[in-house]
Amino acid sequence: MIKLINSSKIYDKNVIALDNVNIEFKEGELIVLKGVSGSGKSTILSLIAGLIKPTSGEVIVGEKKISKIADHFVSSFRQKNIGFIFQKYNLINSLSVSENILLPLVPLNLSKVELQSRLENVLKLFSIQDKKDSLVKNLSGGEQQRTAIARANINSPKIILADEPTANLDEKLSLEFINIIKELKSQNRTIIIATHDPLFFELDFVDRLIEVKNGQIVS
Amino acid sequence: MVGKINFYLLDYSLKYILRYQYKNLFIVIVMTLLVALLASTLFISNAMKSEYNTIINSYPDIVITNQKALRDTTIDEDEAYKVLSIKGVSSVVPRVWGHYYFLNADTKFLIFGRDKFETYSNPLLNASSNITKDSMLISQGVKKSLHESYYDEYFNFIKADGSIKKLTIKATLKQSNSLENSSLIIMNTDSAKEIFQYKDNEVTDLGVSVANENEVAFVAGKIETLFPMARVSVKDDLRVKYENIYNLRSGFFLSIFTITFFTFFIIIYDKVSGLNSEQRREIGILKALGWRVGDILNARLYEGVIISLLSYTLGITMAFIYVNLFNAPYLKDIFLNNYDLMHDFRIVFSIDYETLALIFFLSVPIYIAATVIPSWRVATLEADEVMR
Repeated sequence: MIKLINSSKIYDKNVIALDNVNIEFKEGELIVLKGVSGSGKSTILSLIAGLIKPTSGEVIVGEKKISKIADHFVSSFRQKNIGFIFQKYNLINSLSVSENILLPLVPLNLSKVELQSRLENVLKLFSIQDKKDSLVKNLSGGEQQRTAIARANINSPKIILADEPTANLDEKLSLEFINIIKELKSQNRTIIIATHDPLFFELDFVDRLIEVKNGQIVS
Repeated sequence: MVGKINFYLLDYSLKYILRYQYKNLFIVIVMTLLVALLASTLFISNAMKSEYNTIINSYPDIVITNQKALRDTTIDEDEAYKVLSIKGVSSVVPRVWGHYYFLNADTKFLIFGRDKFETYSNPLLNASSNITKDSMLISQGVKKSLHESYYDEYFNFIKADGSIKKLTIKATLKQSNSLENSSLIIMNTDSAKEIFQYKDNEVTDLGVSVANENEVAFVAGKIETLFPMARVSVKDDLRVKYENIYNLRSGFFLSIFTITFFTFFIIIYDKVSGLNSEQRREIGILKALGWRVGDILNARLYEGVIISLLSYTLGITMAFIYVNLFNAPYLKDIFLNNYDLMHDFRIVFSIDYETLALIFFLSVPIYIAATVIPSWRVATLEADEVMR
C-alpha cells in the first residue's frame, strides 16, 4: 500500500508543485495519473520513489515512512522495491544495453550466475536480446524505452513507476509499451503511470484514473 | 579484505575511466611526469647527501690549515709533533693535496699526495700503497678527460715555474661513484709537493684524529690556542660547508619545482573536480536506481585509486630508470658544480622508502580527494534535483 498524507512539495522560488495531497494506492493496482505538464504528476512519482522529500506531510510505502527515513535507507528501499521508468529514459548513452540494465544490481555484489540469469530474463521479456551488446546511443527510441523498462524490472520490484513513458514514442511503439504494462499488471505489480497521453485513458485494465491539476487531486 | 571488494563496482569504475579516456589519459600523463620529476629530484638530492656524508666521514676529525693575512697557506709538517703532544690526539697526518687546473678540458683535478705509511679511512687512498715518484693513480673521470687530450699513458703537469713534471698512469681507480673521487689523482707526496712547488717541510694541512669523538671540540680548542693564526676545522664545520653547497642548489631547484608541482596539481584538480552536466546526471541516475551515496563514492574511490596509483607507479618507475639507469642527465647537472668532473659521478642505486612515501602522500591521496569530494557533494543532493 502506498499513501500520501497531507503531502506538499514546494520547490525553490516558492513554486508549489504539490498542495496538501491525500491519496492511497492499493497493492496490485494499475493507476494512471493524468494532467497537463507541471500539474504535479511527476512530483507524486518522485515522492513515492523517495527521489525527493515532501516539504510537509508524509509518504508511506509498504510499512515504511520513506519521507522520514535517512537517504541511505531510502536508496536501499528503492533498490529492492521500486522500478522507475523515466520520461527521457535516463540511460547512460556510453554504456551497452546489458550494462545499463545491470546498473541497479552493481552495488548488491551478486554472483555472476544470478546476474546473468536475471539479465537473460528481462532481455527476453522485453525482446531486446539481439541488442544486448549495442551501445544505448545507437538504439532507436523504442529500443531505448525497452531497455529502460528492462532496467526498471531487473530487481523484480513490487512497484513500477512510469513518468510520461510514451512522450517520445510514436503510436505503434506506445501500443507496444501498453502491452508490456498489461503483462506486468498480470504479475500483480503495483503500477503508477503519470501521463497526458489519451491512449491510457480508455484502457480496460486500468484500475483507476486520477486527475491532477495545479498540485491537487481533482478526481 | 579481497572478499569485500565489489568487482562489479570496480568494473563500472574501469569503464567510467575508459568512457572519459582522453581526459583521464591527459591526467595520467601529467601526473606521471610530475611524480617522475619530483621523484628524480629527490633521488638525486638524497644521493648527493649520502655522498657528502661519505666524503665527510672519510675526513680527519680536525684539519689544521695555516693562514697568512686570512688566506690559506702551507704549514710546517714538524708542527705535527706539537699537536701530538695534546692529550686525546691519537694521530696527526701531514697532508699534501690541492687542485690542478687542466686547461684543455676546462676542469679541475684534485691531486692527493700520499706515502705508503699513511692510512686513511678513504679506501681509495689506501689502495695506492705502491705508487712511485713517477707514477699516479687516476679516477675514471680524470681518465676520460685526459683521454680526450690523448693522454692515455702519462700526463705532463705544468709546475708553478712553468717546467714540466711527467707522471705515468699506473692504474685507474675503479670506485668512482663518490663526488670527490671522480676528479681524483693520487700520487706520491713528493711528486705532489713538486707540482705545487712546496718546500721539503711544507704540507697543505694537518689531519688530526681524536680517540674519543666527544673530545673533538675540546682538542680543537687546544689546537686553536696552540696555533692562533691557523684555521681549525672540525668535521661538523665541513658538514655545514657541504650542506651549504649542495642544499643551496637543491633547495633553489626544489623551491621552483614545488611551485610548479602545485600549479600543475591545481590544474589537474580543476580538471578532475569539475563535474560536467553529463557526470552530474549520471550520479542522479545511479541514485534513482538505488545506489547509496557510499556506493557512488566507492566507485569514484576506485577510479581515483586506479588513476593515481597508475600514475604514481609509472612516475616512480620512470624516475628509477632515469636516475639509476641513465644517471639523470641534465637534472643532475643542476645539483653539481659545472666546473669540475663531478658530472662523471654515478648515482648509487638505493631505494629510499621515506622518499617514496613522501611522494605517495603528495600525490595519491590528494588526487583521490579531488575525485571523491565533488562526487560526494553531488551525491548528497536529491536525485531528482541532480537529474534535472
